[in-house]
Amino acid sequence: MNAPVPGLAASYEEPKARSLSGRNPRRQFRWGRLLLITLALAFLTAFLLLPLLVVFTQALAKGVSAYLAAIVDPMAWASIKLTLWVAAIAVPMNVVFGVAAAWAISKFEFRGKSALVTLIDLPFAVSPVIAGLSYLLLFGARGWFGPFLQAHDIRIVFAVPGIVLATIFVTFPFVARELIPVMQALGKDDEETALSLGASGWQTFWHVTLPNIRWGLMYGVLLCNARAMGEFGAVSVVSGHIRGLTNTMPLHVEILYNEYNYVAAFAVASLLALLALVTLAGKSILEWRQPELRDGARRWRDNNRKGKV
Amino acid sequence: MSIALRGVTKQFGAFTAVDDVELTVPTGGMIALLGPSGCGKTTVLRIIAGLEAPDAGQVLFDGRDATAWPIRDRKVGFVFQNYALFRHMTVFENVAFGLKVKSRHERPSAAEIRKKVQSLLDLVQLGWTGGRYPAQLSGGQKQRVALARALAVDPEVLLLDEPFGALDAQVRHELRRWLRRLHAELKFTCIFVTHDQQEAIEVADTIVVLNRGRIEQSGIPGAVYDEPSSAFVHRFLGQVNELPVTWRDGRPHAGPLDITGDTGQGDAGRAGEAGRAGPAGEAAAEIVLVRPHEIDIGPESAGWPAVVRAVRVIGPIVRIELCAEGRSPHEPLEAEVSREQFEQQHYRVGQTVGVRFRRWQIYPASVVPRPTDAAA
Repeated sequence: MNAPVPGLAASYEEPKARSLSGRNPRRQFRWGRLLLITLALAFLTAFLLLPLLVVFTQALAKGVSAYLAAIVDPMAWASIKLTLWVAAIAVPMNVVFGVAAAWAISKFEFRGKSALVTLIDLPFAVSPVIAGLSYLLLFGARGWFGPFLQAHDIRIVFAVPGIVLATIFVTFPFVARELIPVMQALGKDDEETALSLGASGWQTFWHVTLPNIRWGLMYGVLLCNARAMGEFGAVSVVSGHIRGLTNTMPLHVEILYNEYNYVAAFAVASLLALLALVTLAGKSILEWRQPELRDGARRWRDNNRKGKV
Repeated sequence: MSIALRGVTKQFGAFTAVDDVELTVPTGGMIALLGPSGCGKTTVLRIIAGLEAPDAGQVLFDGRDATAWPIRDRKVGFVFQNYALFRHMTVFENVAFGLKVKSRHERPSAAEIRKKVQSLLDLVQLGWTGGRYPAQLSGGQKQRVALARALAVDPEVLLLDEPFGALDAQVRHELRRWLRRLHAELKFTCIFVTHDQQEAIEVADTIVVLNRGRIEQSGIPGAVYDEPSSAFVHRFLGQVNELPVTWRDGRPHAGPLDITGDTGQGDAGRAGEAGRAGPAGEAAAEIVLVRPHEIDIGPESAGWPAVVRAVRVIGPIVRIELCAEGRSPHEPLEAEVSREQFEQQHYRVGQTVGVRFRRWQIYPASVVPRPTDAAA
């Protein structure tokens, strides 16, 4: 799902034979190629670039000072802090869950393994609103655990714990999904070698497994983080929209927008958009970094061929 | 350290990978587990290493029951087919790994580790590669680093899974010799897995042939090659020609040829087998296996007439493809003669010669599957 899509031009192969009619078959291809590229670019512009541009122009419509004022507004600031907090809790937890799940799935054989793989995908399949609602039904005042939580004065729904839970649910697949194929491709040989050399399980994970999966892990963390900060649906249901207390950035944007406060809404939205851009840049760097490392090693080796025994 | 397997059985689902295996490896032995893919040889190796737990049976290390010992406590060096070098570590760090993960009171000092790793790298003739990464090494170099890494923790047993499988013929030949030398020098107990009979014969002092999870035969390489106990082993170690046997007048025949060969040149060692009463008239109830170099080629009158179909000179030997009279042209006999004999006789394509078997063995036809069926 995340493999860089090769350019259309790159997947186009030179036709080797001319068609029977004697016309150059490449010409027919060229029109199709142009059409496809134009379509893709037009689509991207209309549905991705323009909206992004609108966010930033709207945010700066009344000048930089209005933009800054909207961001340093105490309510906006509170939502930014809450969003960072939620991500800071949800992402590490999902890293731990994700690595554990990926480890179990890729290194061991056990009953119910395919069920576990399917379950990991569940948050992708289920609407986030339903995720939020299910937490409401579990932990809300009239939910299953409602009386118990009330008796012990624990607030989950309409409070920060609920937001964190909803975010964890929605972002659960990212790390695991990134790591499972990586770890499956790596196999068990490295780990088994480490064990036979006398390493403990923990040493094996720390010195052998983790370095092998670090790029995939970072990639998963990036995607997980982007989604954690941007999640709206699930969080909206359990948040209660208490300004300054349970409003995350996406929720705050919606409130401002509904109050016709466009500059402020788009100013906060631009921060989220910026985050998305940073995530994409980070993702590109990671993708670029891995082949670069490999190429570097290959060049190194070629230079040293003379020294070979 | 001596190793023994007692009735070891391992199943994967409905598939029996290892079936009641009994095996004894003396201290300092060099054993080859030989068999086609899927015969269970790697599983046996993994059970000895502790990477797999047997469903039944015992693994004994020096007579002590080691079946439940964790991998770490077995003092076993395991080298994987693909070497499994840690790609993010340099060669030096790879070899040092087993020393660095030791608990604090067992761990040698940094200087001692450096000295030991360097001496190991010198031992495998790679002293100059310490700072390199595995990706910068050739296959043969990686294999030797993997061996050095396994030797770093002073294992008493070295287990090698298809050690030279992924290397080209030249490097493979060199490494086999090198492994023998290393073994003679360090005297560890060594068990390696291979599907290459040549490799097993060249390196091991004992060959254990496995088929469908069972041991078919074990012994010193020459004995297993010369005295195969079953058609499977006969086929698996080296090339064979396979012919249906018919019994006439109480004597086994292949086509028109009396296999026992009443010419006085035949191998009398097989006479006892040939003399028993055969199931007359039942075609292909028995087969005779003959190796290419056990076929004698003489004048047309002295044997089974056959037409020379192809001649291929392979260094010191010459391989001759023969179409014997009455047999399908798609089932040629393969014979091997020495270069000297070939140059004296000078067989030509199209020439008719007479074929006799110098040495052979008769087996029941259907009981033992062909090696290629064993994986199924």
